Amino acid sequence: MSVGSNGTKRIAALLRYSKLESSVCRSCLVRRNYASAAAPTDASPSGSSPFIATPEPPSASTSADLKSIYTINAGVVLSRPPQITRDLTPFEKAYYFYQRRLNERLALPFTRYFYFKRGTPADEDWKRKYKHRQTASRDIGKYSAYSKEAWNDELLVGAVESEPEHQIEMLIRDSEAPIATSQEGAKKEKDDTLRPHPRSTEADNTGDQRSLSRLLQRTLYLLVQSNEGYWKFPSSPVEGRESLRIAAERTLSQTAGVNMNTWMVGHHPIGHHVYNFRKPRHDTTQNNQLLGEKIFFMKGRIMAGQADLMANKQDLGDFKWLVKEEIEQYVLPQYFSMIKNMLPER
Amino acid sequence: MSLWEPYRPLVRALPRVLAPSAYIQRPLLRRNASDETSSTPDPLSELEPVSSFGGSVPESVVTSYDPVARSRSRKSELPPSRYQFRSPKYDRGPLHPHRPPPPSDPSSRLFVPGPFTLPRVQQTYDSTIAQDILTLCYVHRPPGFEPPPRAPRLRSWDGSSPYHKNRPLRGPRGGDVLRLLRKPITFNNIPKLERITIHSYVKQAATDGSQWLHVAGMAIQAISNVRVETFKSRSSVSTWGIAPGRDSVAVKVELRGENMYHFIGKLVDVVMPKMKEWKGIKGSSGDSSGNITFGLTPEAVALFPEIEVNYDMYPSKMIPGCHITLHTSAATDKDARLLLSAVGIPFHGKLVD
Repeated sequence: MSVGSNGTKRIAALLRYSKLESSVCRSCLVRRNYASAAAPTDASPSGSSPFIATPEPPSASTSADLKSIYTINAGVVLSRPPQITRDLTPFEKAYYFYQRRLNERLALPFTRYFYFKRGTPADEDWKRKYKHRQTASRDIGKYSAYSKEAWNDELLVGAVESEPEHQIEMLIRDSEAPIATSQEGAKKEKDDTLRPHPRSTEADNTGDQRSLSRLLQRTLYLLVQSNEGYWKFPSSPVEGRESLRIAAERTLSQTAGVNMNTWMVGHHPIGHHVYNFRKPRHDTTQNNQLLGEKIFFMKGRIMAGQADLMANKQDLGDFKWLVKEEIEQYVLPQYFSMIKNMLPER
Repeated sequence: MSLWEPYRPLVRALPRVLAPSAYIQRPLLRRNASDETSSTPDPLSELEPVSSFGGSVPESVVTSYDPVARSRSRKSELPPSRYQFRSPKYDRGPLHPHRPPPPSDPSSRLFVPGPFTLPRVQQTYDSTIAQDILTLCYVHRPPGFEPPPRAPRLRSWDGSSPYHKNRPLRGPRGGDVLRLLRKPITFNNIPKLERITIHSYVKQAATDGSQWLHVAGMAIQAISNVRVETFKSRSSVSTWGIAPGRDSVAVKVELRGENMYHFIGKLVDVVMPKMKEWKGIKGSSGDSSGNITFGLTPEAVALFPEIEVNYDMYPSKMIPGCHITLHTSAATDKDARLLLSAVGIPFHGKLVD
């Protein structure tokens, strides 16, 4: 083999890959194997940043012409994960309720005297409640698995026993004070009982899409409105030699402010979006021809705080916290087709 | 000729590049599977969207239908159905005509009802933790990248001695144990919790009587919702007064599925925050194949809500401590720790991976 054969192979490889719409970034291409990574990167064009994807390779004849490049942008998919469990489907409610009653029929009866000593107030209270609901479990309605009518375990039309709200209500009623001396005392006990917070918040009722406390069961994503009126994830060009993650963090602080406690998940993008300009733009400073933008989305989680566009440097108009279906209504269809697969359903 | 041989690919590639190449906007001809699926209906849409309790039955039918009253008003009992199936007590093999039904059948003797709920931790794992682990563990392999070949795990003998012939291969360097292979984490092998084992060794059960084991069993059963298994000692410790096979000295439960998720939810959100002067699980814990073990003191076991609500029921001296093993599907302790810290379990000290 002659001396220059390796270099020419590499140049030829670069040329070949350039035909694939530059689907491989240059830095990846150079470190295709360890041997070539160790070798000096003589094949990489001098003066071009590794963060600029160049579909046209530099060669002796084209270096005088314009270089056609894409700008690399770092985007941030900032999300608030679900805060509460999701609502069950009617099928799930019916299934879990069926399983509970089935368990009641198959399990051994409750060992009362192991848990309640005879004659204690707790035992009296137990007897009173048991007489009412006929079973030890408190969330399956009035059902006795050991009686003659144990076969009647199916709910009729209009029954509420399988609804979680009803079950919570029954649990609360059961936990209330065993013996109330007067009406007032009973009322006071009822107020003191710890009730779960409502599953829909005020932001849901008012339709406030800027609030982080809306739609607690779903993942919310931060979208910003650019000065042209388009909705998108926050993004900005990668500057100098900074990494995508650093660029994403910088983007977030420059667009949505610093009043957020966020965590960037990993160092790799979770998706990308390629945007081609209608006509290539001429970049006079670098003597380049801009074909479009490539946005690489980094994943982030918000822990606390709220977005604030007061000090943003991109002239953004507005922001919203939206779930996946709502994002589809706001962004352009082409944009959504590129981002939809990196957003989970729930 | 041989001088030009290496330049041939270059010569072939150059004209293609030098051809006039203004960027042409081509229509996107690529078809993605995801685009196709968006038009197909949601799989959940096959389920009935509304509950059957709100069915379109006339009001008169709904109000008049009372199965209990109807059965009570019957003068004579209905004849029993001709064949009431009872599962045979013993499985007499596949050739026997009377085979027991599968354990998933409610008429089977092995049937265990459940699940009864959709646990919160499971939902968190599905909606948040799994995706984040997938993102965190992603390793970029550019197209065309070939990872360097790895040395075989078992070494061959060098053949310097005639006795090397037909010997089995040598074990790995630094120990005879073949560790689990860590495969790249993709969407279908994201580490998840597989099962939890709670184990309690009660040494007083051998000397002071079996009541210690009964209390330990009840306490472990209460916090785990699973029936305990008891175990006899296998070793002989004369100072503890145990002999092999003589006394039951330990209880164990295995939690899976719903019980497991409820248990870890209680452990992380109720018990661990209340444990005094507890820094977390030691970072050196783990069997280097993705299973993390730690211990709970009797005071910590007493913090479980099931024991706390009727603490008086248990003889307070006899509440046991226990060892808890969290079995994950991760192949290394590092991945297991990533999963467990996402669930909310703290680790302290030097992390040994």
